[in-house]
Amino acid sequence: MNKKVYLISFLLIALAAGIMTVKIMYGGQSMHTNISQYLWRVEVVMNIAGKGERAKVRMTLPKDNGHQTLYNEHFDNDEMVFYVRERPLTGNRVGFWRSELLEGSKSVRVSFSAQLVKTSYLIPADLRIDKNPKTKFPPEMHIWLDPSTFIQSNAREVKKHLKAVAGNERNMLKAMHKIFDFVRGEVKYRSERGSKDASETLKKLEADCGGQARLFSALSRALGVPSRIVGGLVLASGVKTISHVWVENYIGGTWIPFDVVNNHFAVTPSDYLELYRGDYPLFKHVGLSKFEYFFVIGRERIPPIDNPWSLYILPIHFQNFIKTLLLIPLGALVVALFRCVIGVPTFGTFTPILLALAFQEISLGFGIACLVGIITLGWAFRALLDSLKILVIPRLSLIITLVVILVLVLVVVFYHLGEQKVLFITFFPMVIMTWMIERYSVIQIEDGMRAAIQTSIGTALVALAAYALMSVHILRVFLFAFPELLLVIMALLLLLGRYTGIRLLELWRFKELLRMGQQKKS
Amino acid sequence: MIQFPLRPLRYFQNPFRVFKQFGFLGINRRNACYTLARNARQLYPLVDDKLQTKKILDAHQIPSPELYFTIKHNFELKYLRELGFLKDFVVKPARGAEGRGILVITDKTESGWKKASGEVISLEDIEYHVSNILAGLYALGGVNDAAFIEYRVRSHAVFEPLAWHGVPDIRLVLYRGVPVMSMLRLPTRESGGRANLHQGAVGAGVDMREGRTLGGVHHDRLIERHPDSGALIAGLEIPFWNDILEIAAKAYEVFGLGYLGIDFVIDHILGPLILELNARPGLSIQLANRAGLLKRLRAVDQVGHAEQLSSQERLSFAQNF
Repeated sequence: MNKKVYLISFLLIALAAGIMTVKIMYGGQSMHTNISQYLWRVEVVMNIAGKGERAKVRMTLPKDNGHQTLYNEHFDNDEMVFYVRERPLTGNRVGFWRSELLEGSKSVRVSFSAQLVKTSYLIPADLRIDKNPKTKFPPEMHIWLDPSTFIQSNAREVKKHLKAVAGNERNMLKAMHKIFDFVRGEVKYRSERGSKDASETLKKLEADCGGQARLFSALSRALGVPSRIVGGLVLASGVKTISHVWVENYIGGTWIPFDVVNNHFAVTPSDYLELYRGDYPLFKHVGLSKFEYFFVIGRERIPPIDNPWSLYILPIHFQNFIKTLLLIPLGALVVALFRCVIGVPTFGTFTPILLALAFQEISLGFGIACLVGIITLGWAFRALLDSLKILVIPRLSLIITLVVILVLVLVVVFYHLGEQKVLFITFFPMVIMTWMIERYSVIQIEDGMRAAIQTSIGTALVALAAYALMSVHILRVFLFAFPELLLVIMALLLLLGRYTGIRLLELWRFKELLRMGQQKKS
Repeated sequence: MIQFPLRPLRYFQNPFRVFKQFGFLGINRRNACYTLARNARQLYPLVDDKLQTKKILDAHQIPSPELYFTIKHNFELKYLRELGFLKDFVVKPARGAEGRGILVITDKTESGWKKASGEVISLEDIEYHVSNILAGLYALGGVNDAAFIEYRVRSHAVFEPLAWHGVPDIRLVLYRGVPVMSMLRLPTRESGGRANLHQGAVGAGVDMREGRTLGGVHHDRLIERHPDSGALIAGLEIPFWNDILEIAAKAYEVFGLGYLGIDFVIDHILGPLILELNARPGLSIQLANRAGLLKRLRAVDQVGHAEQLSSQERLSFAQNF
């Protein structure tokens, strides 16, 4: 029997290795995961409602540049008139949606893929700042040198501070470092509604990215360096409503980026997507009673294009689902290991896996806190139902309803506390929680509180271990690139299935045997 | 003198080696090599469902507690009123595991029925208990279940000093028809009159030749005296020992499970009765007997085809353990 199992396990592993080799040799797949290049999928959703009059919405759209390449731009205009205009001065591409008479709600969507590369710039160490920038730069450059409404580069305060910070420094690199460090060091970050202008930032020494960028820009202009605000998104998988701004200064014939808030000096990181240039808002609208927007962002490593059987060819939202699916066998392996080799008691086989998946969705500490809270309340409720002598099926239904109510309360309370991640709790496996409450109660009644708590701790422990393994990024990437690794998991599970040795916790449970052995000896 | 809390290193034993020398059977090996290998899957329902077990036992005239009536549907709950005619009885789920869901009624009082623990409950409480059983609360896998009411066994007088408000039972493990190990399970105050070790009952190892008890085990700790009465556990002679072995051998032939646990009780009037059968008997029996199962199982395997021996030969083989 064991020989057969070893043979099958060996064959499974060999098969997986074979498929992997073929894919690497002939399928264009690589063992190296090139993390620096990503293909991002961004969807901008604008939900608007009209007041029954002329309505107009505008948004600046991304363009190709040395740092970003865009693909598959798609507009879903919801029957509004749509057109795109290029702005000659800034080069911005602006999309307009308008309606002569807008009543009711509309949902406008813009989606595109972007490939981003990290770009670093070098400022020559001997470059000097021009004494007379107005004469050196052509007239179309002057808008980036003159003070503007929010970038008051001619204000007395700004000039005074520049004097204090940069003194008579005319070396470009040193001067840039000085004002960069000044803004970074002196101005505290604070997120706010509507950014401050440069003078206000200087006065309060507290601002968000907008205020800090304006101050940096004002100081640069006062120094005689053409400077402009750049707006865009810092991409991260998920849903967000926050956009970002930073600064570009025209140095030695190129626009060089500076982000004071996130400490990027002459660097555009690989997750910065530029949407517009100049001190403008990303969106503008007139004639609306409601305007809401958010960004949905997903990330993909660039697929090996010549392999049609790879999982990478699937649509991105579906890829995320597959990734979660691939984690289940990984969790099952952990459960099998803990139960058969160590002997940890758990509520069923799948509960720890599903808990681990839930912990992946929300954060770990928060997940455990929710779990403990809900199970405790559920158990108290279950005890109450017991005294009322409610039949089993209605009782389970009552408990699941209670769990749903508890989850609703949690979501609403935490939403008002500004905790966004709690919205993921809807993915929390409620059926599993109900089942856990029921099992907990039965074990508590039949075998005592001790056994119930032991089993709970065992379940949480195994879930944590599964969570830890599922969080190993390289494993997830490899499982997705080489799903044949599941065969290896199967081989390991087969071997575990023939493990006939003693479970570690049996050593503890039957520890009296050791004492007996000693008595015999003496 | 200062007691040094840690023992010197030379006393350290490799626990895996000690367990191996002892012939300890772990749960993994029990499952992989004995229950899965020796017990055909389709035979499980015969022992998992106590009503089926009873039917088969009755058909072969193997003694078991008398079945009064069964309740399979909620509308049949009204039959419970008939209980008014009974002074004592036991309510059991047909598919309950590890002694779960068993309700023992010892007496009828004016306010209701008295449980083994002394608590008095009403007819409504019993109805609730039965409907929980029907809904599968105590069943393996939570499937719908049936409840049955049967004769309450009263313990043989021999066990008086060792059993607290309950009936001790005798667990016999048979491998390929050979009784390999046995244990007397004694209820305690903690186990509430039930004879399940994990609920706090005491297990006492039994010498296979004479049916005499050896030392005991309580919550996986070796003990010599009963935790409630303080009576010495070792040295008790189980009555009808040879009958018990013979009934067990017969039951093996009827059920055909290669690795089988049989639970007996000894009624003060009716003598040995089979209470239930178990296709996955537990492992604490080894602590109770201070002996590993693996050694004995291997000895049986060495005989070759133990199944083909006559029941007499198998029993005499068992007496060598």
